[in-house]
Amino acid sequence: MAIDITIVIGGQAGQGILTVGELITLAGQKSGFYIFANNEFESRIRGGHSFYQIRISDHPVEAPDSNVHLLVALNPETFHIHKTKLTSGGIVLTEDAVNSATEQILKVPFNDLAEKTGSKITANAVAAGACLSLLGAPLERFKEIITEQFHEKGTEILNKNLMAAELGYQAVKTESFKWSFKWNPDPPKGVLIDGAKAIALGAIAGDCRMAAFYPMSPATGILVHLTSFSDDFPLVVEQAEDEIAAINMAIGASFAGVRSFTATSGGGFCLMTEGLGLAGITETPIVIVDAQRPGPATGLPTRTAQGDLLFSIHAAQDEFPRFVFAPSTPVEAYETTARAFNLADKYQVPAIILVDKYFTDSLFTTTRPFQAPDVIQNFTATDEDIADPKAYQRYLLTDSGVSPRALPCVGQSLVVVSGNEHREDGHISEAVTDRISMVDKRNAKTHSMIKEMNPPKAYNGESELLLVGWGSTQGAIKESIDLLRSQGVDIGCLIFTDLWPFPYDTSYPALSKAKRFFMVEQNRSSQLGSLIREQTGLTASGSVLKYDGRPFYPSEIVEAITRINRKR
Amino acid sequence: MVDLKDYKSLYENKWCPGCGNFGILAALKDALVKMDIPPQNLLVISGIGQAGKTPHFLNCNMFHGLHGRALPVATGAKIANHGLTVVVNSGDGDCYGEGGNHFLHAIRRNVDITLLVHDNRIYGLTKGQASPTSDLGTVTKIQPHGVISQPFNPLAVALSLGAGFVARAFSGKIDHLSQLIQEGIKFKGFSLIDILQPCVSFNFVNTHDWYNQRVYDLNQAGSVPDNIDEAMKYATQWGEKIPIGIIYKKEKPTFTDRIDVLRQGPLNSRVYDSKRLKTLLSKL
Repeated sequence: MAIDITIVIGGQAGQGILTVGELITLAGQKSGFYIFANNEFESRIRGGHSFYQIRISDHPVEAPDSNVHLLVALNPETFHIHKTKLTSGGIVLTEDAVNSATEQILKVPFNDLAEKTGSKITANAVAAGACLSLLGAPLERFKEIITEQFHEKGTEILNKNLMAAELGYQAVKTESFKWSFKWNPDPPKGVLIDGAKAIALGAIAGDCRMAAFYPMSPATGILVHLTSFSDDFPLVVEQAEDEIAAINMAIGASFAGVRSFTATSGGGFCLMTEGLGLAGITETPIVIVDAQRPGPATGLPTRTAQGDLLFSIHAAQDEFPRFVFAPSTPVEAYETTARAFNLADKYQVPAIILVDKYFTDSLFTTTRPFQAPDVIQNFTATDEDIADPKAYQRYLLTDSGVSPRALPCVGQSLVVVSGNEHREDGHISEAVTDRISMVDKRNAKTHSMIKEMNPPKAYNGESELLLVGWGSTQGAIKESIDLLRSQGVDIGCLIFTDLWPFPYDTSYPALSKAKRFFMVEQNRSSQLGSLIREQTGLTASGSVLKYDGRPFYPSEIVEAITRINRKR
Repeated sequence: MVDLKDYKSLYENKWCPGCGNFGILAALKDALVKMDIPPQNLLVISGIGQAGKTPHFLNCNMFHGLHGRALPVATGAKIANHGLTVVVNSGDGDCYGEGGNHFLHAIRRNVDITLLVHDNRIYGLTKGQASPTSDLGTVTKIQPHGVISQPFNPLAVALSLGAGFVARAFSGKIDHLSQLIQEGIKFKGFSLIDILQPCVSFNFVNTHDWYNQRVYDLNQAGSVPDNIDEAMKYATQWGEKIPIGIIYKKEKPTFTDRIDVLRQGPLNSRVYDSKRLKTLLSKL
């Protein structure tokens, strides 16, 4: 019997949900299980309803499961909200007076037990201990985790937490739990990492030297991670006064010769769009992450969405080339971010990476290692590369559209750059010939850029029916494919990471193979579906769209596809 | 030795004849030559407006960006290569209107750049609307009943934010302005020079003669205030007598001085080290 258990810990913000969750997550990861964890919270620091959902499995899992096996209700509200998700044999752990004829409720006095340690704050360790006890985890393993987590806080705090863990563990030791499983001392299957950290690491792997940002959920985590690396790398992270400043600082740093970066969410990206155009017309490489959340305006600040695809492709007035990527897993985010820095530099264009709240905040278990590049290719020009540095022209017309990019104050070449339309030497021009040649030059890059694009990733791509998605929904879509195939449906999927310039040459044949294809997206109008129709002339037979701000469960996709199939 | 002709731009000048910008350009060139800064070692960053075009009429490294955004670009460039000599050309609309927020925060950071604000108290490029420094009552096509908002006082604002070098100049006094620009470039930290200039096309009140009759050199006795209270008096003096010169000067650590990682050299000359990343990845 395969192991695939979901634990939900819910309560008010500030009740320590994350601490309980992290302890269970670490215990699972260090025991050789695949872990996936996501958290849902409101835009407030205290109160409300938040929950942390952990999936422990003996096979790779990259999406939340809708069935809950163990529910830790830190308040009665959690029980009432989540009880319908409890699977048969599921248990509710709570200390509150909750009565139910249908659910199995196990009352554990978390706070009273914590008080025995002399510190009420250890209630989190009590709760985690009780969970792991029910799940069948060895107490010693859990004590090792507690020691790792608390040893830096001093012996007293560590000992109190060890005691709390044991009290919680012993409190339910004699209870039987249908979903308990065997914990072998296996080595970790991979690294446990959230999407935000993977992007920050990818920026380092792309030789990012400068990042400017304005705090905005759910992008802030990326900059927090990047900042944590900045003492060990030639890297400056600056909190700007607003997103407009952030992108202009990144442009200034890139112009002066370092790879630069900014990350924001949709609202901040709106403010950045004029700067995006400046990067476009001045041909200054930059990398921008848009961590999507539902909008418009403030929308749902702590929830997830995929509503910015067409916006990111079209953002800023007029036309200029750019890259748009949407990675699906942390390792892919790491590699894609590093690649975005290289490609932005190579083609002197902005590169946009689309992720979302679900992706930046969820913990995944990696299934292949992060590789550090041995060298970083330099795409800038020095005096030695330029025939006559005194006659250097920043926007020299070339067949590829890419001009040698010298840096200011580095050699004899004078670098003249203007966001006004310009001549080859960079000075302003309103001449018809300059305008046409510069527009053509910039857009000529698309011919080579498109050759850099990876095809959509196929999973059972030879099937009669294909689901088509992009970015972070990959995990849920692939799992829904497995479930549907186990029901005998001939179905596969195509997941796009490289979105713009649109990889027509590989997408058209991949999509054409199927009798029908359905879009699966977290927006209301099926934006990738529109893009595919625009770029290939192919039209999806239908779509599964979710825009409630919550991530997809694989079961929702299965139900929707089953419904669509039944109608036919 | 740097010669005036090194800064001669072959690009056609596009300002109105008689514009105050010509005086500012002449003073800037004079300062650069006197300081022996070759064009290859100078980076000029500008925003939008007639002032924003200034670097096109010099011969140097330049970045002519968006309206109001010259200061963030300059900040980014200084992070990438903190040894750069950076001069920013901006205007009253560009710097105090569209880019007002960046003005506040560039001062807070104390980025080591020299900001020249071409302050003609009117919007020239868009043909004569009120600017943040226009006087109350200034009549334009958009403000036919006169400006009803109080004028922005850049000097007082800069002083209140702790700017280390605050000066005012008049585009008609080229030698004096050149001297101020030299002092500003030498100054380690953010230096603001608000330059009063006539707009011959749209401002018919604050003309060359109007300024010429009112300005006086506040540093004539050879003293430069390093006292905020005294500086505030000069910053708020306006009308019959207008002080020009260095209103306040006091050095303190600059933005890039305070960033530890830059002590090992400019970011743009550092070498990628895959070992460091491998170490970081191995600790995950």
